Parts: sequence; structure tokens; C-alpha cells
Amino acid sequence: MNKTKKWIQEIKNKLHFNNKKEIVDFFVRLIFMISTIISASFIIIIIIFIAREGIKPFVTDNEGLGAVNLFRFLTGRVWLTGTTFQSTLYSVGFIIINTIYVAVLSLLISMPIGVLTALFIAKIAPKKLSSVMRTVIELLAAIPSIVYGLFGAGVILPFVYNFAKTLGIQSPGGNSVLATVIVLSLMILPTITALSEVAIRSVGKDIEHGSLALGATKTQTHFKVILTSAKSGIFSAAILGIGRALGEATAVSLVAGNAQNGPSFGIFQTTSTLTSTMLQGLKETIGLDYDIRFSVGIVLMIVILITNALLNYVKRKVGNVNVK
Amino acid sequence: MSNKRKKFDKLLQTITYISASVGVLILSLIVVFVIRNGVGLINFDLITNDYHAQFYNGGIDEVTTFSNTPRPNELATDDIYSEKWGIALRDGLDREGKPIIEVVFIAEDSPLYAMYDKNNLENTEFKIEVENIISSVKFDDKPSALSIYGAEYMINELDAENQFREIVFSSLGGGIRGSLITTLYTIGLTLIIALPIGIFSAIYLNEFAKKNRLTRIIRSMIEMLTGVPSIIFGLMGLAVFVPLTTRYTPATSANLISGSLTLAVILLPIIIRSTEESLKVIPDDFRFASLALGANNSQTTFKVVLPSALPGILTATRF
Repeated sequence: MNKTKKWIQEIKNKLHFNNKKEIVDFFVRLIFMISTIISASFIIIIIIFIAREGIKPFVTDNEGLGAVNLFRFLTGRVWLTGTTFQSTLYSVGFIIINTIYVAVLSLLISMPIGVLTALFIAKIAPKKLSSVMRTVIELLAAIPSIVYGLFGAGVILPFVYNFAKTLGIQSPGGNSVLATVIVLSLMILPTITALSEVAIRSVGKDIEHGSLALGATKTQTHFKVILTSAKSGIFSAAILGIGRALGEATAVSLVAGNAQNGPSFGIFQTTSTLTSTMLQGLKETIGLDYDIRFSVGIVLMIVILITNALLNYVKRKVGNVNVK
Repeated sequence: MSNKRKKFDKLLQTITYISASVGVLILSLIVVFVIRNGVGLINFDLITNDYHAQFYNGGIDEVTTFSNTPRPNELATDDIYSEKWGIALRDGLDREGKPIIEVVFIAEDSPLYAMYDKNNLENTEFKIEVENIISSVKFDDKPSALSIYGAEYMINELDAENQFREIVFSSLGGGIRGSLITTLYTIGLTLIIALPIGIFSAIYLNEFAKKNRLTRIIRSMIEMLTGVPSIIFGLMGLAVFVPLTTRYTPATSANLISGSLTLAVILLPIIIRSTEESLKVIPDDFRFASLALGANNSQTTFKVVLPSALPGILTATRF
């Protein structure tokens, strides 16, 4: 009781203004604080609303269809068994595997190219060339993903189709794991290059000079000293890159082919990722078929969180030479 | 230095050169592809036209009086004119290079003005206009005159008859006027929503907030927004903003405001971070001097910090 009185007294003291200046100060503070709270609350809004919609299929009986089985949802190998609107047999198990498979493959392609390009820009290229290349990379990092999707649909799909034909394989219009991996690796290449370049440039000059003074060649210094010193920055680039690859929706759905079952490991098989599954027919559906996409959204967020945590763990494990 | 080591050095160097050139080459290829495919279709009409062509089916009652207007002089020599129907047609190509038939002239006493809209009989403003595209003329007792046969064939077929079943014509479509306007509209609306909230939050975090645990939590919550993939923002827009806007506005489904609100949420962390960067650059001496002169915190912010940070904030938020 005493405490409440004390609080009220405190609030009264705070609301007691000596002059106009203090009133203005108070309200400015209030407005700024409210904006900050609004900005910060969006992440909670996102989590609450997506969770609310996404959990619905598992806990309600979906207008008479019965609840979706969570275990089956997370492990199954077919997106939907039975007829839409009449079946609850959804599963994303194979899609999770597809998504991670595609993202890791594209990271494996673009990581070496991106890091070596960054090394070239930061250390080897003459100043003028490196500034031109840096501009190009920054420009490409800012290109919206739909343009990469169009490039994939216009150039990579026919290329994959013809490539498969020469190998004697019938590819459905080129929509395949290979096309998806190429588009994704193109898309994350600028991100990885730009971030690795910053990391490489921030390696101290004294380390480099020390290595050269010990008689190492320039190439040895680049690979054995600079790249290892910039390891943690390069890992951060990889984390951002794989985050972009996992969360990319529009470009992927243009080239993936939306496989309904799987998982697809062959490079000419059609595939589907969590994002493309979510996007597919999102605006044309209602009821359970609509709500289940929010559940896929939750799965996607969990997959991204786990991948990031894993890569961060690896980053800490491989250690770090003092960069600054 | 041993020979083997030299070779290894060369190998690594070559790999670096190759991957750098491959990276930049492929990425330039994307730019070239987009420009090469897009540039042929870009002209002024693209910006002024609507995306969807509007199709009309014009029927006509029995015609008794025909046009008497002679061929006007301003028509080009390859325009085909029908004196009977008072209409001149021209063979043309659309932006994708497909043949089309364009109306270039209609006489004032043309019987075609008597046409009515077969799809909407109450449409009184219905008429065929210059620059419309005729896709076909359909007759009762013989095959239709399609646009692939050319303007001359169509005019000849028309001249031979006193009556036709319908003319199918359309406005010139394939433009991006609508999308362009709404895109600009959305960006404007987004900035109006996101800029004040973003800049205020950044000022609060940088100038007012005490350095305690709560502030750290708020900061990390805003940082978390940057890691959320865009499709999740889209789902959030569908789950939060679309129901919200359909309840309080006449809109019935996804709309401009819900789109702008969603985009604003995506932009918020970027605006906050870049504004904070430009606020951090302002030296603390400014703030201390202002405070020492007896100004309070918000006066300092508005009269000292913001004027010096404004150029930085503006460049930071121009995306």
C-alpha cells in the first residue's frame, strides 16, 4: 500500500511542470518513446500473429476436417495427400530437406567464387579496376530478387533444359534443382562478395607486412594470412548469404518447379522450397489450405534460426585472429 | 624458393583471377540480359498506356444510310479507306512485333457510330475511336475478317456487305502506367509512415534512452527485424494489416494501405540504423555545450543535434 502511494507521488512529481519548456520536453520524450515502442513491437506482432494463424491447423478441427498431425506434418514426403479442402494430410518434411539442400549447394558454389572475388578486389586488382568492380558488386547486391528470377526464367531455364537434353534427360522446361541452385548462388554472390571484401580490407596491414617480411610470397600471404585472419567476417557473410537463400521466395518459385513430393536430390528433378510452397496459390485459397501456409512460415523461421545458430557456433569454434 | 611452391602459387593466383572474372562476368551478364530484353519495348507509350487492353464487342442494327465522306487528304498512302463505312485502317506492329490493325480515321457521318456495346447495353458512351485496335470483324454469312489477313482484306470484306455481326476492338494495352503510378504511390505512402517512426525511434535510442537492459532488449528486437525474410513480412501483412484495413476502410481485400504498412515495417530497421549512424557522428561536445547553456534534452536534440545531423539523415534514408 505504501509502495503504491510512493509511486503515485513519484508520477505526480514527474507530471508537475515548472514552465512550458518542461511540458514540451515531456511530450517530445513521450512521442519518441512511443515510436520506439512501436518499432520494437513489430517483431512481437509478427511472431504472435504468424504463430496464431500457424498453430490453428494443429489445434482446431479445421471446420470438420480434423486436426493436422504435427509429426506427420514435419516428416512426410508428400505435400498434400488427397483432395484440397477435403484432406488434412499436409507435410513439409521433404520440403525442409529440399530447402536446406538447395541453400547449402548454392552456398558451396558462391562461397569460393565470392571470397576469391573479394580477395581480388581488396588486394590484387589495381585501384581503378577494383573501384569499378566494387561498384558493380554493390549495384548487384541492391537489385531486387525478382530480376534474378526473370534472369533465371529467361536464360537459365532454357540453358538447363538444353543441357539436360544433351545428356539425354527430359527436364520439365528446365525447372530443376540445378536452375534453382544457379539462381540462388547468383543472388547471394554479391552479398557474400561485398561483406567478405569489407572483412578482408579490415585485416591489419602489420600482419600482412609481417608475413611478407618473413619471406612468404604475396599469394601465400593472401591465402594463408589474410583469408585466415578475415575468417570470422567471411563466416558472417556466409550466414547472411544462407539467410538470403533460405528466405528467398519470388525468384525461387519462378525456377523451382514446385514439386509436390520428394525430397529431390537429382539435379534435374523439380524441387520446392518452403518459401515457394508458401507462395504457391496463396491468394487463391481459403480455410485450412490457407492457414497451413502460416505453419510453413513458422517452420521456415525455425529453420533459419537453427541454421544461423549452427553457423554462429561453427564461427566461434574455428576461432578468430584479432582483426583490428 | 622451391619450384613446387612457385607452381602452387601460380595455381592459386590463377584460381583467384578466374573466380573474380567469372563472378563479375556473370553478374554483368544479368544487367545485359535485362537491358537487352527490356530496351526494345521501352517507349513513351509504355509509360502512358494501361497494362490490360480493354476489349469491346460492337454490334450494329441494320444500316440504312452509309457514309459519304471522301478519302481525307491527311491519310498516308498505305492507309486503307472505306468510303462506305467512313473508316480508315492501317497495318501496324505491336510492341512484340505481331501484326495489328489500327484505326487511323473515322468520318463524322460514319455508320459505325451507331454501334452499341454487346456486353453492356446501357453503356451510352460506347464508340470506336482513332487508335483503337481492331482484332476481327465477324459476319453472319461468311468467315470473319481477322487482323492477320491485313487491313486491305478487312476493308474489302466490309465494303462487300451492308451488315455485320460484330466488330471486336480493343484499346492499346501493354503499358505500365497503372503500375508505375501505384508503385510511386506506395513508395510515397511507405515513406510517410516509416520515416517519422524510424527517425523518432533512432533519436530516442541515441539521445534519450538510458543505457540499461531495457534499451538493449529494444535494440535487439529492432535488429531482429532485419533477419526476417520478406515472405514472413508478407504473411504478417496478410494476417494483420489486411484485416485491419478492410475493417476500417471501404477496401474489400489486400490494398495499397496494407501494402505500404507492410513495406514500412520492412524499412523501419534500415531507417533506424542509418539515422543512428548519422546521429553518432555528431560530436558529444555539441550536446554538452548546449546542456551547459541551460537547454534541456529535447531542446538540445531539436536545435543542436538534428540540424547538424539532418544532411546525414537525408542521405542515409534516400535508399
